[in-house]
Amino acid sequence: MRRTLYIIIAALLLSLSSFAQDARQRSTETIVQDVLALVPIQQQSDFNNELKPLVQAAPKSITMLAAMLKPAAQRVNAKVEYTIHGAVCLAGTNEAWASSVREGLKQAIAAQSDKDAKQFLENELRLLSKENDVTYTEQKGANPYAKAYDKLVALGDKADAEVVKAVKGKDHALRMQALKFATEKGLVTDELADAVAKKYKSLSEEAKCDVLYWLGDNKKASQKALLAKAVVQGGKPAKAAIEALGKIGGKDAEQVLVDQLGGENNAEAFRALCSFPEKLNLQEALKAATGDKKLSLLKLASARRQTNVAEDILKLTSDKTYGEAALNALPGVVTPDQINAIVGSLTVLDKNAGNISAWQKACAAALQTLPADEQYKRISLFANQPNMPNRERLYPLLAATGTDASVADLEKIGDAAALTALGTSSNYKAAKPLLAAAKKGNENALMSYVRLVSSKEQSMDGRSARLCEAFGLAKSTDNKKTILSKLAGAPTRNAFLLASKQLDDKDLSYTAATTAKEIITKTTEDIEYDVAKQSLEKCINIFKATGDADDGYAVDALRQKLSEMQPAPLYVLSDEEKKQGFELLFDGSNLDNFVGNKVGYVPINGCINVTANYGNESNLYTKKEYRDFVFRFEFCFLRPGVNNGVGVRTPMGVDAAYDGMCEVQILDHDDPIYAGLREYQVHGSVYGVIPAKRIKHKPLGEWSEEEIRVQGNHITVTVNGEVIVDGDIKEACKGHNVAPDGSDTNPYTVDHRNHPGMFNKTGHIGFLGHGAGLKFRAVRVLDLSKKK
Amino acid sequence: MKLNRRSFITKGAAGAALFSIMPREVLGKMGGNNNFIAPSDQLTRGLIGVGGIGRSSSHFISDQNCRLVALCDVDQKHLDSAVAAAKKNWGEDLKAYHDFRDLIHDPNVDIVHIATPPHWHGIMSVEAANAGKDIFCEKPMTRTIGEGKRVKEAVKRNGRVFRLNTWFRFKDTFYGLGTEVKPLKKLVDSGLLGWPLKVRISGATGFTWKFFWVGKENLEVQPVPKELDYDLWLGPAPFKPYNVHRTHQTFRGYFDYDGGGLADMGQHYIDPVQYILGKDDEFPVKVEIDAPQQHPDAVGIWRNITYTYADGCQIILEGEGFESEGKVPYIEGPKGKVYKGFECTIPNVQQIINELPDPEERNTDFLECVRTRRQFALNESNGYHSATIVNMGVCALRLNRTLHFDPKTQLFINDDAANRLVEQPMRGEWGKLI
Repeated sequence: MRRTLYIIIAALLLSLSSFAQDARQRSTETIVQDVLALVPIQQQSDFNNELKPLVQAAPKSITMLAAMLKPAAQRVNAKVEYTIHGAVCLAGTNEAWASSVREGLKQAIAAQSDKDAKQFLENELRLLSKENDVTYTEQKGANPYAKAYDKLVALGDKADAEVVKAVKGKDHALRMQALKFATEKGLVTDELADAVAKKYKSLSEEAKCDVLYWLGDNKKASQKALLAKAVVQGGKPAKAAIEALGKIGGKDAEQVLVDQLGGENNAEAFRALCSFPEKLNLQEALKAATGDKKLSLLKLASARRQTNVAEDILKLTSDKTYGEAALNALPGVVTPDQINAIVGSLTVLDKNAGNISAWQKACAAALQTLPADEQYKRISLFANQPNMPNRERLYPLLAATGTDASVADLEKIGDAAALTALGTSSNYKAAKPLLAAAKKGNENALMSYVRLVSSKEQSMDGRSARLCEAFGLAKSTDNKKTILSKLAGAPTRNAFLLASKQLDDKDLSYTAATTAKEIITKTTEDIEYDVAKQSLEKCINIFKATGDADDGYAVDALRQKLSEMQPAPLYVLSDEEKKQGFELLFDGSNLDNFVGNKVGYVPINGCINVTANYGNESNLYTKKEYRDFVFRFEFCFLRPGVNNGVGVRTPMGVDAAYDGMCEVQILDHDDPIYAGLREYQVHGSVYGVIPAKRIKHKPLGEWSEEEIRVQGNHITVTVNGEVIVDGDIKEACKGHNVAPDGSDTNPYTVDHRNHPGMFNKTGHIGFLGHGAGLKFRAVRVLDLSKKK
Repeated sequence: MKLNRRSFITKGAAGAALFSIMPREVLGKMGGNNNFIAPSDQLTRGLIGVGGIGRSSSHFISDQNCRLVALCDVDQKHLDSAVAAAKKNWGEDLKAYHDFRDLIHDPNVDIVHIATPPHWHGIMSVEAANAGKDIFCEKPMTRTIGEGKRVKEAVKRNGRVFRLNTWFRFKDTFYGLGTEVKPLKKLVDSGLLGWPLKVRISGATGFTWKFFWVGKENLEVQPVPKELDYDLWLGPAPFKPYNVHRTHQTFRGYFDYDGGGLADMGQHYIDPVQYILGKDDEFPVKVEIDAPQQHPDAVGIWRNITYTYADGCQIILEGEGFESEGKVPYIEGPKGKVYKGFECTIPNVQQIINELPDPEERNTDFLECVRTRRQFALNESNGYHSATIVNMGVCALRLNRTLHFDPKTQLFINDDAANRLVEQPMRGEWGKLI
């Protein structure tokens, strides 16, 4: 007996090393296996928690893992690689861990015979090494530049004389290297600048330029006199000096630069003034200037938005010589103060005047700083005056306000000019009149409509449906391409089907393939296996044939997708249900047992998908009528907030909740949009009559099972095995399905509504609703009335 | 017989011939009033890597400003088809090289254009700089922080002009902002948004991280196609059994060569931010990561990467599918926010911006920079900074932890493993080139 005890103790002691430090008392083998099953670990906290025991079990855990590495050709190493690399990463945060993981890796390397595996382990070991093992060869230094550079580095902040020497030298690259060195090391003191400037006169033109640019880069205000002089002296150095003065700034520099406008250094001076660090004052100069100088000043005032000269420039628009330039400059300087004057000019222009759009631009700019409704007030005042001459010129400005009122005004006017203006509106309300015009063949209106829909339509189904419709209206290949690419932003089944159909059109095939690829990777909707497979194979061929950089990845992604797709198997009844007498209403293949809306309800890959199809809002009903029955099905939400329902003993085409016996609610009541939901509206409720016990739905994309049992007036609803409704519909309303006083308010039902169909003896079973985003499968029914 | 301008010059300028570097400025300048540029005044370019970006229409060009004179690729098929295309397009007989070192040392080449996968960028840039060539390098600048440092040093030391090829800091619509960077820079500089600023690079603000650029584990071992010199394709990268997915078009999914969307799009997205924030000379001091565990070889996805600067400014990257809910600003300051499409909480912001001075002038014409030796707008220095920000994120992702960075030493603080990723060994003799 005692001996046995010793043996047990000895065994415990022996195994202690394998149980080392693991809070869960696992052996090293188990720790290794557990981590292998987890990798790649998704979360940082799990990463630390799960790998810690593994690291603490090193070196044994590491050698054990390393022994699992197989030759690369067997293609099985990924999980081991993740695990070892993970351990190495974690071990790097703690020296004690690092030391034992290092030990493990060293042992493993010694034991490893496969060279790829060995290399992998050596790389991992390197990550835990304290020393930087990378040495570079001495930099080669035979050439004059390297020598000069090394000398500068050696001199450090005493390199002034060397810099001056390089400046005087003939070698351009050496000179620039020295100047750059001085700039980067912050050596360009006023003294150094002075020393260099003293040599200026004796320098070559090229060196002069180099020095002047350098003075500018270092903002040497002390050298402004030299720079100003260089400007006057002209030639290439003048251009360099102008750039430098532009960087340094100051009133004196501004004067020098303004003087250069209109001359041979106009372009340089203009650029320098655009980035001139201080605000400019161009009023006097603009008044005094003539010729090219005046033209440049106008451009400059516009580029820098000199609102102080707005009135001067407005006046100048009527000038014979400078009028056109002034008008072009106007948008850059105007404020709301000039609106009325500009509208005045715009509406009296001769119809042959070439500058109408320039005035419109100026007007838009003047309006721009105002809030939208203020803009509308100011412009509609003129645009809506029927007596206003040439008022159509104001339509684009009206549209640019983007207000509802502007859309209404333009729609009311309704002529071609108004329609063109509507096409530029950012207000989604403009879509309606644009579509109407598009249907009459106006392709510009169509594309404006497409632009609005793709940027403003919030619902994906809406975007998809409208873009599909627009595609049908488009005539030009370019427009078709545009719409096809926009469809990628509305990843629905319908959009995919449309893109698929264009894959054989050689003008559209690449765009269609790109769209189809985007949709198939993004969509949450099911797409028929056969169609998807065929289309994706075509896409692969199209991408292969093009072969741009990313097309290789596109082919990869599509192959991956294809390998994940499988045709859905048909559903068969269980033996038990068969014995009980259940019949299958939907086995995955067709809706032959149903009537009604087969556009919104589509059998795809073994499921009935509820897809959004605009304009078709009716329901799907069983062909047969049922009295007492057990109705079983599975449902799956694909999007948050889905709403549907099962109609019971209902005629077709009515609201089953009232004119049928009842509607059993199907609703993603967990979605925040249903925060204010009443208890008789939650999932499973006999709508408005018997509230259901509130369940928590499974995550989107997962299947739930539901059974609805109806016998006489009794209804039972069971979801995933839990009974959530079990009640008598007649008792629930105390026999009063309608208000006894004949009014619309029924005090006996929980929703206080009349339910005239509640006591129907028989009727269809139906799926009620037309919102996309859910699917049903395995729909079967047991007709209890038959048995009797 | 066509006179080779460089052999002419080498003979003509005997003293200069001793230099391994030929300053092209000593070459004859014939200028003239018409648009004709004398062959001796034309710049020349050699292109390394003609499979992907190198064959794109914007790079596979040759004109009188800059003639394409040499091509190089380790895939014979790519090389042959590029040579044929060049012949067809310009009737030019280009030099075709298999080994990039031959192209770099070709005396006819002024500018070395590096369009290879990123694991080559460091070595090739340094080799080109040491050979006295100016450099046009595709993004991302380098695959490691250490290599970036080497490139920066080599370019400075050899007095070279370097251009990193992303451009959003000086031109083109900046993705979801719907505008160039310029007005944003003006707005930030004006102080109207307050300080510190938070920048969010996310699907919600109009940027896509291309999460499909990921690698695969357990790759099948495939025979190397006979046209590909796989050993030279790998070069400094560890030798791993060949699979087509590692190479052309899909190399971005492997840490050995690149780092997925983060590394490859990162520099496009982050470089302009660094400019907007005025942090061309700074580095963040911290990078935090929220991601699933990464495979040591195949790049995976991530949820969030947040960089913090010493002054509290932040750059927040949100992974695809992990974007903030609702309306999120691209730039957020204590006094104002800017959303996607340059929507701003400051009323009449456009007019206010128009009244502000433009940002300081920069040199955005690369060929002009080569001629004047002035620094290009996106160069070895600010390019190194933005590449380092990207690489800090890649390090944090690979190690799955928060890292602290010392801007002075440009190393991580108290983290050996992270510093092992700053400097990574190179296979064989390749490390000796850099």
